[in-house]
Amino acid sequence: MSEVTKLFKVTIDNITIDVAPGTTILNAARQIGGDVTPPAMCYYSKLEGSGGKCRTCLVEVAAGSTADPRPMPKLMASCRTTVMDGMVVKNITSEKVTDARNGVVEFLLINHPLDCPICDQAGECHLQDLGYDHGKEGTRYEFARRTFEKEDIGPYIQLHMTRCILCYRCTYVADQLTDKRVHGILDRGDHAEISTYISKAIDNDFSGNMIDVCPVGALTDKTFRFKNRVWFTKPVDAHRDCETKGCCGKATLWLRGNEVYRVTARKDEWDEVQSFDGKPGWICNACRFDKKKTSDWVVEGLTTINRHSVIGANKYKALQMPKETVKEVMGGRDPKLLMNIHNVSEVNNPAVHLSEIEGPAQMSDFKNSGEHVEGAGESTQWGMKK
Amino acid sequence: MGRKLLLDKVHVDGIRSYDVYRREGGYRSVEKALKSMNPDAVTDEVKKSGLRGRGGAGFPTGMKWSFLAKPAGVPRYLVCNADESEPGTFKDRYLMEFIPHLLIEGMIVSSFALGSNLSYIYIRGEYAWIIDILEQAIAEAKQHGFLGKNILGSGFDCEIYVHRGAGAYICGEETALLESLEGKRGNPRIKPPFPAVKGLWDCPTVVNNVETLAAVVPIINEGAEEYAKIGIGKSTGTKLMSACGNINKPGVYEIDMTIPVEEFIYSDEYCGGIPNKKRLKACIPGGSSVPILPANLLLTTAKGEKRLMNYESLSDGGFATGSMMGSGGFIVLDEDQCVVKHTYTLARFYRHESCGQCSPCREGTGWMEKILLNIDNGKGRISDIDLLWDIQRKIEGNTICPLGDAAAWPVAAAIRHFRDEFEWHVLNPGECLKSNYGLAHYADEIHMPLIA
Repeated sequence: MSEVTKLFKVTIDNITIDVAPGTTILNAARQIGGDVTPPAMCYYSKLEGSGGKCRTCLVEVAAGSTADPRPMPKLMASCRTTVMDGMVVKNITSEKVTDARNGVVEFLLINHPLDCPICDQAGECHLQDLGYDHGKEGTRYEFARRTFEKEDIGPYIQLHMTRCILCYRCTYVADQLTDKRVHGILDRGDHAEISTYISKAIDNDFSGNMIDVCPVGALTDKTFRFKNRVWFTKPVDAHRDCETKGCCGKATLWLRGNEVYRVTARKDEWDEVQSFDGKPGWICNACRFDKKKTSDWVVEGLTTINRHSVIGANKYKALQMPKETVKEVMGGRDPKLLMNIHNVSEVNNPAVHLSEIEGPAQMSDFKNSGEHVEGAGESTQWGMKK
Repeated sequence: MGRKLLLDKVHVDGIRSYDVYRREGGYRSVEKALKSMNPDAVTDEVKKSGLRGRGGAGFPTGMKWSFLAKPAGVPRYLVCNADESEPGTFKDRYLMEFIPHLLIEGMIVSSFALGSNLSYIYIRGEYAWIIDILEQAIAEAKQHGFLGKNILGSGFDCEIYVHRGAGAYICGEETALLESLEGKRGNPRIKPPFPAVKGLWDCPTVVNNVETLAAVVPIINEGAEEYAKIGIGKSTGTKLMSACGNINKPGVYEIDMTIPVEEFIYSDEYCGGIPNKKRLKACIPGGSSVPILPANLLLTTAKGEKRLMNYESLSDGGFATGSMMGSGGFIVLDEDQCVVKHTYTLARFYRHESCGQCSPCREGTGWMEKILLNIDNGKGRISDIDLLWDIQRKIEGNTICPLGDAAAWPVAAAIRHFRDEFEWHVLNPGECLKSNYGLAHYADEIHMPLIA
């Protein structure tokens, strides 16, 4: 390399970072990590053309660039806006952004069934996370929610359109990963739906990846439906020699005891499939749906869960907590911990690993653990083991 | 009597045919441009004329043309947006139906200026009979050497094709139009890149409204200076207005943008007043998506000046006390009309036409429609009015394309100016089904400067 590319300096929520030209604001924020990163429901870095639709990643551009420091008049979709040198972006420090994002979350939830107690996605659902961060406790929507009949998309996948937020990710998977796209969006507006033409089943080797990219519980794995809650299962990294062309053979097995309940692609901290050798690690349907014995796989060890999500909330042995940026955003001030929930409730005692509980969890499972929450009452962030 | 540039020959017998159109001076601008001017000179002429886009946004056409990227070896396209679907707007239909050669002539000159050898007219499918008229006009123009290879010996080749839409309002948005033209689902693209850089088939593209392209003809024929003399300030030339609603003479009128709104409504030359001696209550001056104004603010601005029919005057006062020229769909409401019902009708339209791509518009338009229907049916609550305001506020500006804004503005303006009518509906649930709020104070003279 004879020429060094000049990096662009961009400031997001008072934190400055140097990124390569062409980087989007969202990806720059992901390089910083933590709360500074806008949520993304439709953008998926491994799917070309995705993004811009859900509007949850809207940010305020307070200064366009050093050359043209004027603020941008509208909030911008950070996943589709590239950074300029000297750009100043406000995400969590902007009231406009918080207001608009609360609005988007409310819009996404008005037609969502909120059937989390029976939804397989619960625990790893982006809409849950988003609702947790930005939602209101009540709803202002008083009308019947739109509903659809459940539909089978091929032998392994069930489409529960009622839960869909129309992020279009699955159509990009079908477009970019499989040979022939036989599903897409029908109709317009709030009556638009994902569907296969004339119920044509999706039958190809990679259709299962649609389940992994779905941010909500609209596309679920029929071999796992209602079998278990994800937070009771233990994820381990495993691989096998897969002969399917294009399959990386590296997966995460979700175990309860020694039983494999579910196989998914390996996810990174943004819940996107990890890349191996520069290529997204998609897995084929044989690996996902048919290889449900530990003997089918070479188990490497516990999967590190490092996602800031409901499932990331101290339920796994190999857990990496998300990077904290709040102190930096607040100019060095430490946020004050008002109350540690574990001081008043024994439920979900972080010392108890849910995948080790046999049968349904009981109150006694937490009481009899005998361990006390370390750090409780001190001013650490989460009141738990680091 | 205002000057007419586009519709002056429209009543000549047989003007739809090439022979009559040519005899009346048609295709002079093609001869002038191709024989005596170069493409940049044509663009300069359009720039100097001050012509602003007639599709609704009012962006200066010459400037739009000069943004067109011109990389070597890459084709450029001109696309005529004839997907006129805004409720209340029907000016392009009139122009294309009665004087189709004017559009073809304007398109040839514009294609020459932009270097487009392949130009498209994207027309809404509901205008089925006009497609035949346009194709006939294109065939005649080609037969007489104004289209095809080496037009008038200038070395410039140009073909025009008519492409028919399939009934979606959203395909009038320029990037959705391009998607549809490419044979895809008509979802608006995320900008940037803008069509001037990456448009049709990823090539530089200019999308212009029918009336804009037709206006290029008089600009070239008469010269930019002459054209710019008509009108006031930045509103140059003439504008087609399609007037409808409670008026005696609904129809398409060509105005020169210097006349007061009051004259346009009451003079016999234009709308001819309101039937049955009713009084004016409200008006949407520029097509369904622009803010509705009560009679008092429509006729005079908040500063107390007479409001004129042009871009600046109609938007005087911003959205607090003004509206927009928009696409010229002039909808008049008399004292018997109910603003709540009217707003509900528009909300229903936008809900039906939202493409569903981005969340605020997809979910918000449906929500607003349902609340408005409740209020209209006497089932509303006072808090619903604030809720509506909050919903529209969260849609506006947060969507991919302007349809979100177009859906939010009519609701916002109705609440801003007619809040007491909404409240009356809520407080008189039985009464509102039988009668309506009437004119109330909406035509009263305004003494205090209004602050929204």
